[in-house]
Amino acid sequence: MTRWTLEAWLGAGLAATVMVAGAPRAWAQRASDPARIVILTGGEAAGPVPTLNEGPLGATSNTDVTDQLFLHLAELGPTLVTTGDRGFEPGLARSWTRRDSVTLVFDLDPRATWQDGAPVTAQDVVFTFARARNPALAPSLSRLLRRITSVTAEGERRVVFRYTRPYGEQLYDAVFHTAPLPAHLLAHIPAESLARSAFVQAPVGSGPYRWVRRVAGQFVELEANPRFFLGAPAIRHVFYRLATDPEARMNLLLGGEADAMDNVPPPRTNVDRVNAAGNLRLVPFASSTVGYLLFNQRDPRDTSRPHPILGDRDVRRAIVLALDRHKMVRATFGPTADVPFGPTSPMLWIRRGAPAPARADVAEARRLLAARGWADHDGDGTLDRNGSPLTLRILLTITSATRMQIAQQVQEQLRQIGIRIELEGVEFALYNERRNQGRFDLDFASASQDPSPTGLAQSWSCSGGRNVAQFCDPVVDSLIDAAGIATGNTERAWQAVLQRIEADAPAVFMYAPTFFAVVDRRFGNVRIRPESLWLGLREWTVAGSR
Amino acid sequence: MRRWLVRRTLQAALTLLIALVLLFLLIHILPGDPLAREGEHALTPEQTEALRARYGLDRPLFGQLAAFLGGLAKGDLGVSIQYGRPVTELLLERLPATALLGGTVLLLNFVLGVWLGVRQAVRKDSREDRWITTLSLAGYATPSFWLGIVLAGFVGVRWRLLPPAGMRDPLGGGTVATAVDILRHLILPALTLSIVSIAGTMRYQRAALLEVLRLPYIVTARAKGLPESMVIWRHAWRNALFPVLTLFGLWLPILVSGSVFVESVFAWPGLGSLAIGAVGNRDYPLLVGAAVLVAAVVVLGTWLSDVAYAVLDPRVRTS
Repeated sequence: MTRWTLEAWLGAGLAATVMVAGAPRAWAQRASDPARIVILTGGEAAGPVPTLNEGPLGATSNTDVTDQLFLHLAELGPTLVTTGDRGFEPGLARSWTRRDSVTLVFDLDPRATWQDGAPVTAQDVVFTFARARNPALAPSLSRLLRRITSVTAEGERRVVFRYTRPYGEQLYDAVFHTAPLPAHLLAHIPAESLARSAFVQAPVGSGPYRWVRRVAGQFVELEANPRFFLGAPAIRHVFYRLATDPEARMNLLLGGEADAMDNVPPPRTNVDRVNAAGNLRLVPFASSTVGYLLFNQRDPRDTSRPHPILGDRDVRRAIVLALDRHKMVRATFGPTADVPFGPTSPMLWIRRGAPAPARADVAEARRLLAARGWADHDGDGTLDRNGSPLTLRILLTITSATRMQIAQQVQEQLRQIGIRIELEGVEFALYNERRNQGRFDLDFASASQDPSPTGLAQSWSCSGGRNVAQFCDPVVDSLIDAAGIATGNTERAWQAVLQRIEADAPAVFMYAPTFFAVVDRRFGNVRIRPESLWLGLREWTVAGSR
Repeated sequence: MRRWLVRRTLQAALTLLIALVLLFLLIHILPGDPLAREGEHALTPEQTEALRARYGLDRPLFGQLAAFLGGLAKGDLGVSIQYGRPVTELLLERLPATALLGGTVLLLNFVLGVWLGVRQAVRKDSREDRWITTLSLAGYATPSFWLGIVLAGFVGVRWRLLPPAGMRDPLGGGTVATAVDILRHLILPALTLSIVSIAGTMRYQRAALLEVLRLPYIVTARAKGLPESMVIWRHAWRNALFPVLTLFGLWLPILVSGSVFVESVFAWPGLGSLAIGAVGNRDYPLLVGAAVLVAAVVVLGTWLSDVAYAVLDPRVRTS
């Protein structure tokens, strides 16, 4: 009797669970509409408003939503070439012309309106750039726009940009870094209070989608802007659904709770899992990521002195040559990544036409080391010089399984030529602190790059703000400067920069991966844009849409 | 009783204050820079300094502590570095999700745990007792994050019986549908946390009741011919409740802290997942805010269980 009672209780509980589990599925299916998309994201859109997206708010999760709400004056074309005036597609501006080498004129599309119905005017652009160029409001953005001297309105629909000097990326600077804001809604808000205003909680933009709601910690909902002047999107509702854990994102996707995801997380077996799901497909795109082992040029214990081992260019070159990067990349990524020539992610247009990176040459590596006095004098298997062993530590973050896997291969390959490598995996915040303070021998970095090669100056020029390894070659600096102001064949100028960096061996440029977005098969005309993955959403089509 | 209550309340307040100061200092001593970022999108030194001044991180540690305590007295926990929004607002947004998950787990834990513990004690050494003990200890020995991954993988992905993650389907509509949808999403994380925690309650309850069932007044009650259910639930169980009350006080913080790993595995939008992001990003204001909330509930939980003890057992307040 008692056993039956317990089983009855457990049975009742199970039945209730099954009822709850099963019943609403039918409701959800009834409510489902093929013209909606649920996109998984790893971060929450905390302030999706142009000119606020910097510092900690510069995360992709924030800019993804911003780009759906706010249209730029123009957008990068499919070639992602950032120089010249031709490789761009119209946005709020229907055309642009040059008055002279330092003046660019934009004519706004007269059909462009804000989502509240007000027309987009030249004053909106002037207002936005006044904010964006103010270092007190937008320190990072104002630095990017430093070569714009003025933005003025000529009438309702014409905006004139003036620059400090001629250079190839004038148009890029005007259109890429920020999108216009609605002056008629924001002019009355004190500039420094915008981040805390009601506008940030429900932004009004000019883009293909408009804001519906944000459910804290769960999702952001957007709906198609029926008045969008370039054509109302076929996908009527967009949900950016938050799941910080990559495994949870995979589960939501494979469990049928989401339609798209920006990248398949490691391990590689996840790609097979996606392929096995009949409704999903992988869409490859050039990532903005480049991974490299950065050599510290200064002594981590006293940064006023050169690094006792890595300050020597020949030792750095020997390490590069001792590593079979192609083998490591193939073992880690399969065919979905390659070894870059210089610090170039697949998205960076200057990598096209770059020479192939050097292949491993262990004999040459040994010769270089021997020439610099490194030999195994005490027979312990590790090279030494003046009694000091050739031992180096690689700093890396434990959150990256990919980097940890490659670092272990580096350790083994360098061991074979007598270099002892210790791996120092630390958590992300500590990693960043150590890196910024220059407390490392080798740093296994993974950089996310902008489409413009001018960003290279930040990490690879003597005065670069993010040059944590204190790499300094005045020739590289002058080449970067020259390439930055070139207006003709800029590609050749940038190739010269890459070749000089490669020759200096400031890092082992390890991998440049192709990423795979996952998208439900019911969507057509899918184009994943490396500079902003879901920007092309407005042009996607939907099979079976009502 | 009143003097005892005042003394105990003052003790709790002092404990909380010490905990707050220690938490603040420990969090700020942690290595790692809240403004350090990786890659080409890292901040330049000038930007970092500007932000450091904006968030008051350029002040000496004790200056920051004084500012924090001053703000706390006014209910202001500062602004999150990661989100750029007031910490209080962020915590309040996430609190309901954690309270729902934590409350459900507490309810399951204590209702089921007490009930099964009593059943085991009453049927001591029976096959049912042995089975429940074996299963509950197996659950107790299972790491919650592993169990969560397995449940999400099988129940959510392979069999698609329940949602593998999240708190609600963004496509759901209507109040009833949304409520049922939340319930569906709640099952797996609540089950994960309950399976690994219920054994404690059961074992405590079983042991406590077995002790009481041996006492002479229970023999007397049975000798008087009282129904067995009355002997168990009215006479024995009340006195076997004290150890469980202690456990309840200790478990109460789950209401606000949740289980960080389980919230992460199931993408549950509670304080745990908020806190784990704050740890990774060294978002000091948010991290301290979350820690303050947890500390306050821990102290409150202990205070409540002490008060409950005192109410149920006069010897506690007179000793």
